[in-house]
Amino acid sequence: MSTHFDWMLLLPELVLTAAGVVILLLEAIAPSLRRSFTALAVLATLGAGYAAYYVTPLHHVVASRAGTFNGLIETSPLTFAFTLVVLLSTVLSLLASQSYLRREGILAGEYHALLLWCAVGLLLMLRATELLTVFLALETLSLCLYCLAAFHRRISISSEAAIKYFLMGAFVSAFALYGIALVYGATGSTRFLGIGRALAAQPFTNVLASLGFLFLVAAFGFKMSIAPFHAWSPDTYQGAPSPFVAFLSVAPKVASALVLYRLLEAVVQGGTAPNSHKWSTAVAFLSVASMLVGNFLALVQRDVKRMLAYSGVAHMGYLLLALVVVDRASLMPVLVYLLAYVLMNAGAFTVVSLLYSRPGEQHLIADLAGWGYRYPLLGGCLAVCMLSLGGIPPTLGFLGKYVVFLNAVGDGLVGLAVIGVLASLVGVFYYLRVVYYLYMKPETRQPEGLLIDVWGRTAAVLAALGTLALGLWPTGLLQWLMQATAVK
Amino acid sequence: METFFGLLAGNTLTRLVFFPTVAAVPLFFFTKTASKAAKIYVLIASLIELAFGVLYLAAHLGRDGGFPLVHDTVLSWISGYGVKYDLAMDGISMPLVLLGIFLLPLVILGSWRGITEHWPMFGASLLLLSTGVLGALLAYDLFLFYVFWEVMLVPMYLLIGIWGGERKIYAAVKFFLFTMAGSLLMLVAILWMAWTFQRLNGGVWSFAYDDLLRLNLPLHQQVWLFAAFALTFAIKVPMFPFHTWLPDAHVEAPTGGSVILAGILLKLGTYGFLRFALPLFPHASEVARPLLLALAVTGILYGALVAWVQVDMKKLVAYSSIAHLGFVMLGLLAADVVAWQGSLLQMVNHGLSTGALFLLVGMLYDRRHTKKFDEFGGLARVMPIFAFFLVFASLASVGLPALNGFVGEFMILTGSFRTLGWPAAVATFGVVLAAIYLLKMIQLTIWGPITKDENRKLADLSFREIAALVPLCVLMLWIGVAPNTFLQPSRQTLETVLAQYRQRVDEPDVRQASLRPATTGAEVAATEAGR
Repeated sequence: MSTHFDWMLLLPELVLTAAGVVILLLEAIAPSLRRSFTALAVLATLGAGYAAYYVTPLHHVVASRAGTFNGLIETSPLTFAFTLVVLLSTVLSLLASQSYLRREGILAGEYHALLLWCAVGLLLMLRATELLTVFLALETLSLCLYCLAAFHRRISISSEAAIKYFLMGAFVSAFALYGIALVYGATGSTRFLGIGRALAAQPFTNVLASLGFLFLVAAFGFKMSIAPFHAWSPDTYQGAPSPFVAFLSVAPKVASALVLYRLLEAVVQGGTAPNSHKWSTAVAFLSVASMLVGNFLALVQRDVKRMLAYSGVAHMGYLLLALVVVDRASLMPVLVYLLAYVLMNAGAFTVVSLLYSRPGEQHLIADLAGWGYRYPLLGGCLAVCMLSLGGIPPTLGFLGKYVVFLNAVGDGLVGLAVIGVLASLVGVFYYLRVVYYLYMKPETRQPEGLLIDVWGRTAAVLAALGTLALGLWPTGLLQWLMQATAVK
Repeated sequence: METFFGLLAGNTLTRLVFFPTVAAVPLFFFTKTASKAAKIYVLIASLIELAFGVLYLAAHLGRDGGFPLVHDTVLSWISGYGVKYDLAMDGISMPLVLLGIFLLPLVILGSWRGITEHWPMFGASLLLLSTGVLGALLAYDLFLFYVFWEVMLVPMYLLIGIWGGERKIYAAVKFFLFTMAGSLLMLVAILWMAWTFQRLNGGVWSFAYDDLLRLNLPLHQQVWLFAAFALTFAIKVPMFPFHTWLPDAHVEAPTGGSVILAGILLKLGTYGFLRFALPLFPHASEVARPLLLALAVTGILYGALVAWVQVDMKKLVAYSSIAHLGFVMLGLLAADVVAWQGSLLQMVNHGLSTGALFLLVGMLYDRRHTKKFDEFGGLARVMPIFAFFLVFASLASVGLPALNGFVGEFMILTGSFRTLGWPAAVATFGVVLAAIYLLKMIQLTIWGPITKDENRKLADLSFREIAALVPLCVLMLWIGVAPNTFLQPSRQTLETVLAQYRQRVDEPDVRQASLRPATTGAEVAATEAGR
């Protein structure tokens, strides 16, 4: 393999990085421009999206594994699709942030810069074809995430959130690194392809490799907040700035899901590995555990952010159903589900960020009582997002569940699909609770100190309309994703 | 190539289903206080919808009074999975669809005074609910059917939860969760069937009703699939012992919600059995018949006995619904053409008479804000017109000859006695019990002396209220006197479906799932010519 550095292929990441730097410099030399940082960051993200489109060999259907840095970074329709999902969640989060930052008096360029750099880490992570690159991307991402979780530094609950996330996250990074080392020791490679080949060649009885994979699954399970690695998420979501949680609760999960897929694909590659069915069982266990833990704990939450945190655990459980039997066909359901999750969860957190003015206190669901009439637009968006989270047609949330369950049924996992639908029935109960507080209870509090700006409204409407429109007219989306994931 | 919007503009089923949705959109821009304008707007929209329904019927009703299967142009919806947008109407769905459209303006008239706040949203919920109900009745693609089935839930949830009584949230959530519990399992069953079809059909997906009907499945697979479908529909009907959500939902729902619920929503359960659960899984339904029969007969007697001891008028009518729909189920399980005709007619009858009873209870509630028997008595003296309508609707519900209920129940009982024997005989007691509880209600509310002073000055029915009731009573009488007009459109369809069902029941069980050959265009033409 010839040494080959094609910087052009890194254009999306470079755009985002540069935009972050520019915003930081502007913060230093022209702080009066602060109000325009959101627009700048959104533009940069859209630019990165266009750059990703520009560098992806969409038209060469066959040889599309174009890469750079000796193939460490992949550029394909698949990574392009995941990239777009990540950038979408970045845009939504940026739009939601402006009003929060202004309301709390912490509007500063660092926020936007850090969020853009998070996106850089994520893009690298999902494009990496090799574990050490994944690790570097993961660290880039994590450092920015820790800082953002603590961004509202005057309130203690935000610092608490960040500390909890940081301590566990640092621990998990160590796990990931150790796992990489063990896998390298067992297979002699850190590339997914190489690992797969090595495992296919020798019977997969190696304790070292098994342990290494276990550590890696735990690490990415943590990032995706899969039970039993989910304990950080309720506390962190509760304390961290709400518009940032709109990002934290979705974007890292998008990239981690792809990494997890690649790991599992490496394990089962060749199809002859005798232990691969044990990994299926393990993933099935994680999936069922997440669905049950997430749904039942969300049921008893009174704080809307904690409820969404546990519901996120449950959603990752549904997502994992598609990864129980890992083949190329699993990717389409995963992508559809992630896209649905990005839209509806970001929409929900956006509205939460706009309608609760005291970030240091609890965000009680009961406080929304009767506000569906006071804020018809935001209330309607929140209701749509909740119904979508509950999987009610004709929303994208339903379509996501549909493709995931159909995939499971096709893989012969009817039992798991039945557990999945029953678990989602529990979910409907607590999502409906938000709807009935919005429309069926008399108002209990007057709005005070709220700042509802056009950016935040745009984010909420985009998310709600997106879930509805893509749920009603999904053909184009599904076809595009089918093509993007089919290319090998 | 026709488009969705092209269909929407023509005299099509698409227009019937989606006109209410289109009409609901402007309501979101009405201000909260514009109640009056919203009321009139929704009423006009519902009358236009009724006109569309009549136009459609006029265009397709055959010369001989039969109603053929009519498809809208089939559009591709989710092409990757072969999901199609396919609406079709035949003799089974036609009466139910028209019943739904017919009840809508009456519901709005009946809610005129009872609903005091958020009228724009109330109207929008009613209209969206109509879209869901009509869509579910007309969908010929199982994915589409499932989507409409779930779409119904949200507006009904809002209707109960926002404008309901004291325990409205409990009732609304219970309604939602019960219905959803069944339908999610049905979703898995539908997915499994579509996947199996795709496997047997060389990788080409389809959710179309006609395609899935070609699946020839072994009994042990049918049983599970039937269980999932039957549970969904049994909850919706509701059959004993899945009925507990119904009294709660009815008692807490506003009048309009109750009428829609009893009038059309429950019929979707029995319709589901007739359209999907029985024809798709003939062998399994044969195996499950004794169990379902036992539940149906239990439901008839249990519903009637519980209705007897109620002290709340609305609860009485709610429990009577359980008994009446037990009759419908009995007729469907009989697999006899007379019984099936009776069942279909009885679905319509129940919608009319129970709808009228709920409207009447609602009118009383608007005046006195109570539905308890012991608060009334002697109302015939102060409200003679009300008394007339209450007696009329009750007698129709009891099954007095020359009114609609008699025809339906008589056909169900004779038809099912032919094939089932003693269960039908036991069910007959339900008719006697119905007379007891409904006459008890009449006696306690409108006969006898006036015992409460508040009742002395009650105003009789207004012109608007009479306008809501007269069409119902006219239809009840019409069906009772000339039932053939209403039986003829569906006779041919029911005979065809029943013949196919019987034939498949008699086929031996297969070892492995296979596909029956597709009916070709030539064969269809031959059957059409044979008519």
